[in-house]
Amino acid sequence: MRFVKSVRDMTNLAIVCLGCVVPIVMKGNEYYLHIYIICVINIILASSLRAIATTGQVSIGQAGFMAIGAYTSAILATKFNFPTYSALLMGGLAAMVLAALIGYPLARVRTVYFVMVTMFLGEIIRLVLFEWRTMTGGSTGMMGIPRPEAFSILGILQIDFSNRFQFCYLALAVLLLILLALYNIERSHFGTVFAAIGQEESVSSSVGINVARYKVIIFSLASFFTGLAGGLYGHYMTVLNPDSFGTFASLYIVIYVIVGGRKFTGPISGAIILTLIPEIFGGLKEYQPFIFVIVLFLVVFLLPGGLSELPDRMKPQIRKILKRGFRIA
Amino acid sequence: MLETKALTKNFGGLCAVNKLNLSIQAGEIVGLIGPNGAGKTTVFNLITGFYRASSGEILFNGKNLVGQKPHRIAESGIVRTFQIAKLFPNFTVLQNLRAASHLFIRVNLWEAIFRTSSYRRKEANGLDHAMKALRFLGLDSLKDEFARILPHGHQKLLGIAMALAASPELLLLDEPLEGMNPKEVDRALDIIAGIRAQGVTILLIEHNMRAVMRICDRIVVINFGQEIAKGSPEEIRQNKDVIKAYLGTSENGN
Repeated sequence: MRFVKSVRDMTNLAIVCLGCVVPIVMKGNEYYLHIYIICVINIILASSLRAIATTGQVSIGQAGFMAIGAYTSAILATKFNFPTYSALLMGGLAAMVLAALIGYPLARVRTVYFVMVTMFLGEIIRLVLFEWRTMTGGSTGMMGIPRPEAFSILGILQIDFSNRFQFCYLALAVLLLILLALYNIERSHFGTVFAAIGQEESVSSSVGINVARYKVIIFSLASFFTGLAGGLYGHYMTVLNPDSFGTFASLYIVIYVIVGGRKFTGPISGAIILTLIPEIFGGLKEYQPFIFVIVLFLVVFLLPGGLSELPDRMKPQIRKILKRGFRIA
Repeated sequence: MLETKALTKNFGGLCAVNKLNLSIQAGEIVGLIGPNGAGKTTVFNLITGFYRASSGEILFNGKNLVGQKPHRIAESGIVRTFQIAKLFPNFTVLQNLRAASHLFIRVNLWEAIFRTSSYRRKEANGLDHAMKALRFLGLDSLKDEFARILPHGHQKLLGIAMALAASPELLLLDEPLEGMNPKEVDRALDIIAGIRAQGVTILLIEHNMRAVMRICDRIVVINFGQEIAKGSPEEIRQNKDVIKAYLGTSENGN
């Protein structure tokens, strides 16, 4: 047991190291670095949505919260001269506050009603961005959003995330912090409570769990992370348009989670694979919804638990191959 | 300890519970019996806040519980089990207990995210608490089994263990012996007596008359949502109204 645990730790460490090394390998190829950053942002979105989904609800409005984070951060940085980092944080907080406010009424609606309400919520946010021209630029969007400014720690260590290569590491740092927080929550009593609510709300409340409160907690926290991802997106792209945050954008996040699977690592693999596939088949980018549906069907039929089930499914096969190999040797 | 005053619940035109006056003293085991559809489970749902009373009062240690949310009522010390063993099927036995120990584990999100030492201590205490409830029910050897694969009798016991982990003052058991074989019934009765010995008051719904007569201090019989008799097991056994309610009117009049 202990050995397995340490193997898993080592695998995780290796993956993190890989994440750190990849931008160095790809340095110079701006297109690859771009995909890397988009991947990182999508992993944040998918992992946050999965955290909400552990309580048994799937929100189809998360692109709206991403938009709140992106626009709040961009507006504060361009119109109110906030330093980028505090603007980013404020963007996340704005998304969190909105989530907390609508969280209580939202905690009372279930299943398909929850889906509909969150979907319309996302759409309302997009419409507000569209109409509030003085602040958001309406349909033309926002331009000239600054990249993070350089700063120094104690005058010694110079830190700069402004070019694309450097920005990879800012995004990666935010991602790792978020994943660590989500992971610690998941293995804590909170994780147990969320999963309990996801299984049986009536039993949960009969043992004293305030179901609504815990739904609001995870919804707000996940929306905070989603808002941060939005802020990163805005400061990276330097331009924003409400059309990037429609219902389809929300649905893509859901698909990342379904394709990836229920486990903690699920949304990570799902977001990476589904961000890469349309890029690999570069010419097919307009057919993205089509590709997503095919992948979705393949996963549902061939790998019902999602990509994160793959290692467990392959274990017996690998063991068989290893055994055979030893026998020959 | 618990008192209901003219407790009434209407579902549309149907009166499921009609002006029920229940009174339970601390330390008692009270049986709530009656034919199917008499409104027993509705009474449980009313007391634990899953239903809202149409009229009347539910006083627990002097406080009115009507209108309070289920988790609040659990917090104030009334915990129930469910008729059909309802638990968290995709959790192991131990995880079920950890979720049920919720009221015992007081942690906040920041402690959990940063895994502070105080957090780890609380988590360890919670584990002890959960294991204690498991040991009490004799389920500790099954702690890593998934709840959904347990045999029915064990699921029932797990339900009781979970209710106990929520540290109730008053425990409401909804047909705890249903579907158990005689051997399991004997064991479950020992356990219920043991729970009372720990100072927990018990109100139970049960159809197994032999068991009810054996374990209850007092019995309340309801039919069509109304109380038709109450008293000691001996009194209830001889009560004509009760016999009538269960067997229908007998032809020769007694």
